[in-house]
Amino acid sequence: MSRVELAARQAALVAALVTGGKLPDGVDGARLAIARQALLRKQAGEVATTWPLLAASLGPAWIPSFAQWAAGRPPQGYLRDGWDLARELAAAGQLAPLGRDELAAREVIWRYNGRSAPQRRRLPALRRVPGGMIVGLAGRARRF
Amino acid sequence: MNAPLPELGVGIGWRPEIAGVLERLPGLRFTEVVAESLTDRALPAPLAQLRERGVTVVPHGIRLSLGGAEDLDQHRVAHLAHCAEVVDAPLVSEHIAFVRAGGTEAGHLLPVPRTRDALDVLAGNVLAAQAELPVPLALEPIAALFDWPEDEMDEAAFLTELLERTGAWLLLDVANLYANAINRGDDLGALLTRLPLERIAYAHVAGGAEHDGLYHDTHTDPVPPEVLALLSELCAVRRPSAILLERDGDYPPEAQLRTELDALARAAGLPAITSDVATR
Repeated sequence: MSRVELAARQAALVAALVTGGKLPDGVDGARLAIARQALLRKQAGEVATTWPLLAASLGPAWIPSFAQWAAGRPPQGYLRDGWDLARELAAAGQLAPLGRDELAAREVIWRYNGRSAPQRRRLPALRRVPGGMIVGLAGRARRF
Repeated sequence: MNAPLPELGVGIGWRPEIAGVLERLPGLRFTEVVAESLTDRALPAPLAQLRERGVTVVPHGIRLSLGGAEDLDQHRVAHLAHCAEVVDAPLVSEHIAFVRAGGTEAGHLLPVPRTRDALDVLAGNVLAAQAELPVPLALEPIAALFDWPEDEMDEAAFLTELLERTGAWLLLDVANLYANAINRGDDLGALLTRLPLERIAYAHVAGGAEHDGLYHDTHTDPVPPEVLALLSELCAVRRPSAILLERDGDYPPEAQLRTELDALARAAGLPAITSDVATR
């Protein structure tokens, strides 16, 4: 197996694990499925450290919800993974208040286009939330 | 070749969430920091304080992808070298694994096929990394939930040849050893006899749990008695000069973590680090 072939085998394995690619020849599908679930559980735990309120707002449903959402998507880092999920939940009207506030606090500090790393905002920004608003000023989010 | 670490006893991996726990371990003489968690800016203050106390800090890389068929990322190698310098480390460590391929990050350590050709690639990457590192490198075999069908060698043979070809040290993770033996159905008792124990720079121990009939090396569960028993067995044959507990999430209360460190010290036949060395 040359270096090129090894690269192809490794790429196929990563694709099968994280982007829903087909199982590479000869690899044990049942074991790979278990590895995929383990990876999603671990990723859920890591994203929860960056999005603690989002994770807490889902309670015991956090790990299964995250795992279901993340299956087949390449990880983009804890900040973006949690952000994308929070935006999707918000769009579907399924984001609980804690998660909604955490998302708003991030949105007023960072500019995030959903495709590349978030950039810190230079100007103040605000998001309305029920009962008030969250304002981002000089790198900090405050609730009014 | 002299071992890269002196006798340092039991340690625990430094993580921001448990920085206070480490601060309150009077017997602590050694820790590890995830290299990718350090930036080019100043060291986190609690870690700098441990350094001032004389605690040895070993940078532990998790994203070099030494087993990857793609070219080694020179920036990542340079960062690991930089980490070694800022903490004045006697050595650094990384994994025998790949973590990305085809432009996608796996977000996890994945096993390298144990073939001659993959060994050539891995050894080449290790030698290239060593050329840029200011200190020796220790390599850690991972816990794998699956193996490649093309495997030609068992883990002991693969590892022995890798260390011979590169001169790298071994970071033996006792929990990974346990996980692989259980998940491959290998004989636990025979394991230690074939590994190059004389090449161990230090050892890891971590917790795990069973899911789906397999043992998962989670680092978020307590260390099971079976792993402690394997540590005792290793120490009876050849005790590593330093043994480090890895905990990476779901941090238990401080008292529980201290008890776990005491259990580790007992299993290894080493002094507890939770009380002052002078009064142990």
